[in-house]
Amino acid sequence: MGRRGEPYYVEAAPPVDVNKNTEWFMYPGVWTTYILLLFFVWLLVLSVSGCSPGAAWTVVNLAHFAITYHFFHWKKGTPFAADDQGIYSRLTWWEQIDNGQQLTRNRKFLTVVPVVLYLIASHLTDYKQPMFFLNTIAVFVLVVAKLPNMHKVRIFGINADI
Amino acid sequence: MVRLPYTTALTTLFSYGLLFAFGQLRDFFRKFVDWFKAKNVKGYAPICLGLEDFYVRRLYLRIQDCFGRPIASAPDSWFDVVERTSNDNNKTLQCTSNTTRCLNLGSYNYLGFAAADEYCTPRVIESLKKYSASTCSVRVDGGTTKLHAELEELAARFVGKPAAILFGMGYVTNSAIIPCLIGKGGLIISDSLNHNSIVNGARGSGATVRVFQHNSPAHLEEVLREQIAGGQPRTHRPWKKIIVIVEGIYSMEGELCKLPEIIAVCKKYKAYTYLDEAHSIGAVGQSGRGVCELLGVDPADVDIMMGTFTKSFGSCGGYIAASKEIIQHLKQSCPAHLYATSMSPPAVQQVISAIKVILGEDGSNRGAQKLARIRENSNFFRSELKKMGFEVLGDNDSPVMPIMLYNPAKIPAFSRECLRQKVAVVTVAFPATPLLLARARICISASHTREDLMKALDVISRVGDLVGIKYFPAEPPKIAEADHDKLE
Repeated sequence: MGRRGEPYYVEAAPPVDVNKNTEWFMYPGVWTTYILLLFFVWLLVLSVSGCSPGAAWTVVNLAHFAITYHFFHWKKGTPFAADDQGIYSRLTWWEQIDNGQQLTRNRKFLTVVPVVLYLIASHLTDYKQPMFFLNTIAVFVLVVAKLPNMHKVRIFGINADI
Repeated sequence: MVRLPYTTALTTLFSYGLLFAFGQLRDFFRKFVDWFKAKNVKGYAPICLGLEDFYVRRLYLRIQDCFGRPIASAPDSWFDVVERTSNDNNKTLQCTSNTTRCLNLGSYNYLGFAAADEYCTPRVIESLKKYSASTCSVRVDGGTTKLHAELEELAARFVGKPAAILFGMGYVTNSAIIPCLIGKGGLIISDSLNHNSIVNGARGSGATVRVFQHNSPAHLEEVLREQIAGGQPRTHRPWKKIIVIVEGIYSMEGELCKLPEIIAVCKKYKAYTYLDEAHSIGAVGQSGRGVCELLGVDPADVDIMMGTFTKSFGSCGGYIAASKEIIQHLKQSCPAHLYATSMSPPAVQQVISAIKVILGEDGSNRGAQKLARIRENSNFFRSELKKMGFEVLGDNDSPVMPIMLYNPAKIPAFSRECLRQKVAVVTVAFPATPLLLARARICISASHTREDLMKALDVISRVGDLVGIKYFPAEPPKIAEADHDKLE
């Protein structure tokens, strides 16, 4: 991290994104924070429950599935009522990032993370049931939700407007 | 462009994540607690959808005592801040009758006109007696007094344009004028850090809005080329007109606009320019004429110049200065002129007197003294802060200097500790600034004396050490270097 004793500086240019709900994702350090968070939650689960590493990764994978599905693909709109006049109130966070552009670096990164988690969890549990089944459902739902063809699609009207 | 240590970026993101998680947890439990409360408004839609007011309820209200502090005296360089208490963890605040005398580092009092002034105040009181506090009428009806006509002519002369028009409120000057200048089929290209009033006006106009990277003439050129080549969104017809909106001094960055380069780009592609000088008029430039004078741009090259009287002139309201034809069009079409009560006559007189002082037409050189003082104060303060190791944004000569805090917990820590030491600072967080870049914004005034600034520097340095915001290494004191040289 730079010369001995000196902190490593990054430059943060203000991003062009006008949507305050998603522009925080354009800053340096976001990907690293995300990965470190997953790693520390795994350590926490291991130390609190004392289960095998594979089971801990399965727990992390399923919790990650629940949380990211809820916040990226279920909750619509932004946490700021008046400021954006509700132009994003029908879009989930995933549909809002990068201004609706598909296949950007951020989106590719976010699609790869559940797959990597799935591979780690399945490998360390030796592909045994029932963990394998649950992990597969998690990765399937998350990756399908992030495909470009699913932009603004509401299957069977689930989570359609208010 | 700010430079922050990588670990600071990580910890800031983590802190916001933690705050968000706790907020969601509290909301979750609140749903259970409120499950059994009677809902007596059947059939009505809720005022806020679940997620909409999350930020206000769970993040802003926690540190509410750092924002919107009431004051009990005129906002001069020293003022009285009212103390507030809370019984329910900052959800509601009650004002007490105690006040604290604090050093004012938050008011936009650039030239010191906020408190009573020996030239302006007697004239304002006289005009209050003669014209009363309000005309109670719109400009086109009975609301135009001699003072209004005088100020319009004086403002135009001050800024260097043929004509000007006044409005009673600074925010409305942007949000009501932009829809009169451009409509559907037009294109507005605005800087990514433009003020909310411009964003509001742009949205209200119905024109297509595109944003270019803050202060980057290269990116502006790229956006212009792309948009001119592409034309209107679906039909691809050519744009009816293109307006580029920039600000003179960006209030959250303290930066000056790269005006000469941006004007050159706009002229090349035949786009109109709109310059918002809310913070720079009266505060920068050799004779206070704003960023055009400072950067050597001819006012005739900027199509529309907007400014406010709230900052440097100690009054209220705003103005637009442009060619006679544009002003005539605005006078006939702008709702803020046709339907809003005209500016209060004493407020108009305050601006007239302030401009006369700045121009030296009151017969003294107080105006030039004030301008020199604010320039000296700003440069001194900024260089001292930088020497201490703070990350300070903004260009030289700009009286606005944000000190970067980054971490959300440092915002209330810095604000409350400074208040305890009798220095009042304004802290700004998300969403007024980008998420990672929370800051404390210092506004220097011409009425700050050297002792005031030294006291402020002392307090900020101590609080900065406590809170841990000296992100850059501090410069070693000069004495050590001289000794070192002697030994060689």
